[in-house]
Amino acid sequence: MEYLNEHLWIGQVGNLFVILSFVFALLAGLSYFFAARENEAAPSWKRIARISFRIHALSVVGIVGSLFVMLYSHYFEYEYVWHHSSKEMPMRYILSCFWEGQEGSFLLWTFWHVVIGLILQRTSKTFEAPVMATISLVQAFLTSMLLGIFVFEHRIGSNPFTVLLRNHPDFSNIPLFQNPHYLDKLDGRGLNPLLQNYWMTIHPPTLFLGFALTVVPFAYAIAGLWKNRLNEWIKPALPWAFIGVAVLGVGILMGGAWAYEALSFGGFWAWDPVENASLVPWLTLVGTAHLLLINKNNGQSLFVAFFLAILTFVLILYSTFLTRSGILGDSSVHAFTDLGMSGQLLIYLFFFLFLGVFLLFKNRKNFPKHTEEEGIWSREFWMFVGAIVLLVSSFQIMFYTSMPVWNKLFDLHKAPAKDVIGFYNSWQLPFAFITTLLIAVGQYFRYKSTDIKVFLKKMAASFIFSLGLTFLVFYTIHFDKPYYSILLFSSIFAAVANANYMFLILKGKIRKAGASVAHIGFALVMLGVLISTSKKDIISQNTSGKSVESLGEKFSNNDNILLTQGDTLPMGKYLVTYMGKRTVGINIYFDVDYFTKDANGKLKKEFTLSPLVQTNPRMGNVAEPDTRHFPTFDVYTHVTFADLENLKEKKEDSTDEYATAKNHTLKKGDTIFSSNAIIVFDSLSTRIDKSKYKLAEKDIAVQAHFRVLDIKKTYSASPLYVIHDNLIQPVPFKVDELGLQFMFWKIDPSNGKIEISLQEKKSNTKDFIVMQAIVFPYINILWLGAIIMAIGTILAIIERIRK
Amino acid sequence: MKKIHIIGIVIIAVAIGAIFTTLNNTSTYASFSEACTEPGSEFHVVGKRDKEKEMVYEPKVDANLFSFYMTDNKGKECKVILHKNKPQDFEHSEQIVLIGKMKMPENEFQASDILMKCPSKYNDGKPQASN
Repeated sequence: MEYLNEHLWIGQVGNLFVILSFVFALLAGLSYFFAARENEAAPSWKRIARISFRIHALSVVGIVGSLFVMLYSHYFEYEYVWHHSSKEMPMRYILSCFWEGQEGSFLLWTFWHVVIGLILQRTSKTFEAPVMATISLVQAFLTSMLLGIFVFEHRIGSNPFTVLLRNHPDFSNIPLFQNPHYLDKLDGRGLNPLLQNYWMTIHPPTLFLGFALTVVPFAYAIAGLWKNRLNEWIKPALPWAFIGVAVLGVGILMGGAWAYEALSFGGFWAWDPVENASLVPWLTLVGTAHLLLINKNNGQSLFVAFFLAILTFVLILYSTFLTRSGILGDSSVHAFTDLGMSGQLLIYLFFFLFLGVFLLFKNRKNFPKHTEEEGIWSREFWMFVGAIVLLVSSFQIMFYTSMPVWNKLFDLHKAPAKDVIGFYNSWQLPFAFITTLLIAVGQYFRYKSTDIKVFLKKMAASFIFSLGLTFLVFYTIHFDKPYYSILLFSSIFAAVANANYMFLILKGKIRKAGASVAHIGFALVMLGVLISTSKKDIISQNTSGKSVESLGEKFSNNDNILLTQGDTLPMGKYLVTYMGKRTVGINIYFDVDYFTKDANGKLKKEFTLSPLVQTNPRMGNVAEPDTRHFPTFDVYTHVTFADLENLKEKKEDSTDEYATAKNHTLKKGDTIFSSNAIIVFDSLSTRIDKSKYKLAEKDIAVQAHFRVLDIKKTYSASPLYVIHDNLIQPVPFKVDELGLQFMFWKIDPSNGKIEISLQEKKSNTKDFIVMQAIVFPYINILWLGAIIMAIGTILAIIERIRK
Repeated sequence: MKKIHIIGIVIIAVAIGAIFTTLNNTSTYASFSEACTEPGSEFHVVGKRDKEKEMVYEPKVDANLFSFYMTDNKGKECKVILHKNKPQDFEHSEQIVLIGKMKMPENEFQASDILMKCPSKYNDGKPQASN
């Protein structure tokens, strides 16, 4: 069949760029390899290599451009475009569509490597050939992920340009594709609503730039080992390592900000495998950068510096494998789905792991032997200890995160424990304590050796001041967690000591204060994390109707509040009223007003929060939070349940009417529910004061007794079953407080079951929402710390490059 | 003994500690029958919602109580009491992972948490004509 209006040319162009980028990455890698041998032919190899890499770079830009054109023009004949975008989606999210899928995110990563490679071509001088050989090889592996060709029935890569929607195996039998005009009627599936957020426009490129930057210390380390220039690589690799620390750190925190703003997890960090997968390489990268610093100053810790530089890049590959192979499955909420590339990813991972290990092993005899140890009062010793602490900390995180991998390898059936977050916290708290303590004292040590008396004298003021400040914080914010207060102290100490160092010892010379500023930032991040999470207060509490004490105290999740439209309930220090819902596009906003009481007991409106539920017919309903930011705390709310069936605003019924009855067949002890109460059928009785109900003596009457429980109180209901002159004439029973009416219709003597009907007043079915509200105190310290940390790192890098 | 050796020993000790506590701090993927044999212990049970049987969620009575029936991967069905709000989009869930304990003799699975896979969210949706 001839399909009309398809734009197959752009796919062919894109595919051509994919092939070119792969071929020229390989060619660049090979020719750089020969160029690195530094023999007679080397200069001409180098020329070929440089040109090849530039053609590769142009091709990657071409791929990116083609994919953008396809997304921008809504070419839904391509599966990738159909899958990740739609017509109604605002254009500002086109970037998010681009990297929502695996192919696009690989492309983003590849693109950053190209940018870095082009810079290195100009700046790495004598290291150009060996460093660029590694980077070109990495690029060959990455672009192979986009090839989408079959070799011996194995598909290599997934190509967004060659997979047409009508050829996709999942959709081959769809009648739509019998129509040559199918494109006229087709709309894309659209972008996941969770990703339609400005953070999703800036978080992935930042994070992937961070990932990409780890390739530089790795490539330099490999070059150092390969060309036996064991010490020379340190100096050029150092600024790159710190740029990586800054960018990856900011990228991770942006992810946290996105989770906090757009996801209903109730926080900015959940120790989710995907979060851990980017945190762990950051920790080892921080370790790498500091070890490079030690080595640059006194030539020590060389082996560990190599080891960490290689490990960091391998961990990036491992993280990629974890998040993209589908192995995380149930344990993560936002891992990518499997594209059948896990085998390819594993080859990629093991190739670079073995390359690193092999070169380290081959050079084992070339490492300088240190006869004298670093002194215990030297800066390098404590920096080394700090790097090791980070390594152990990342080991703990990675080992737990890799549980699904252990399950698969050793055929286990281990699931994460219920309190995953608590477990991580209890392990990571001591590490954070040691790290912040080292940050506090680190710069006061000198390289080689320090006069301990001078050291103590310089430290004393910061120590005493921090101790006082800790007590002050402890009492002013009622920090009632003694176990956590050691971290409270060490974080404050780290911030104070570094500030002191900056002003007293560096005399406020901002150019030299990069390290101090970055350390203050890190200490503030820790402080913000500690206070906002340990003092977080779930202010939405409901009184649970059922006892679950037998299952342990913490079992019941008592964190939701039910708000009925118009009612005002106390919540934390506020009084809240659910005002109603409004629909804007596919979003349903639930407006909740917050009031405080003034001295006269009058209500004063403070603000409105409108958490929303996004209803997308193709993706289901997604709750998104709404948060009110104050300088010292945030009020974070999200809707956990709302009745979305009656979206159209109902006209207020006259509230006294009863709705249609519901019939129930019950035996003794059975429980039924009305919309506002639990109803238990207790007993039947025949001893009835007939005169009270104005019944005749010969009437047969049976009374049923019900207990009716709502949140506050227990009521009783006792409707009557009456046979009067062979006719059933039941006497109804009303529970006016709850707007319920009972009718007792039938008794089955054979099994003791009875039949009743239950009516509710229409006012009972007023609109309501179930909501969770959390107060995060001092979370702004965290964001402030993140910004300061980035500024400090940039200052330090500028200073290093300037030297 | 050199300082580097002491550091080495401490690292190894902490790493072993991390491995052991991690292995002990896990729950187990199990079926309902296995959960029955050890009532009171925490398990993760994977299965599908029984679409024929009733679901009860009455937020006005208790917003943190939701009950439904689930069939585990071995085909055994069990009543589930979830001590949480009914998850948004529960009706569309393809696969459910429950975290909780079996309560005997009622033969009810008391779940404290639930994870859902909604096919609609990530995979589903076929190309269809729009107007």
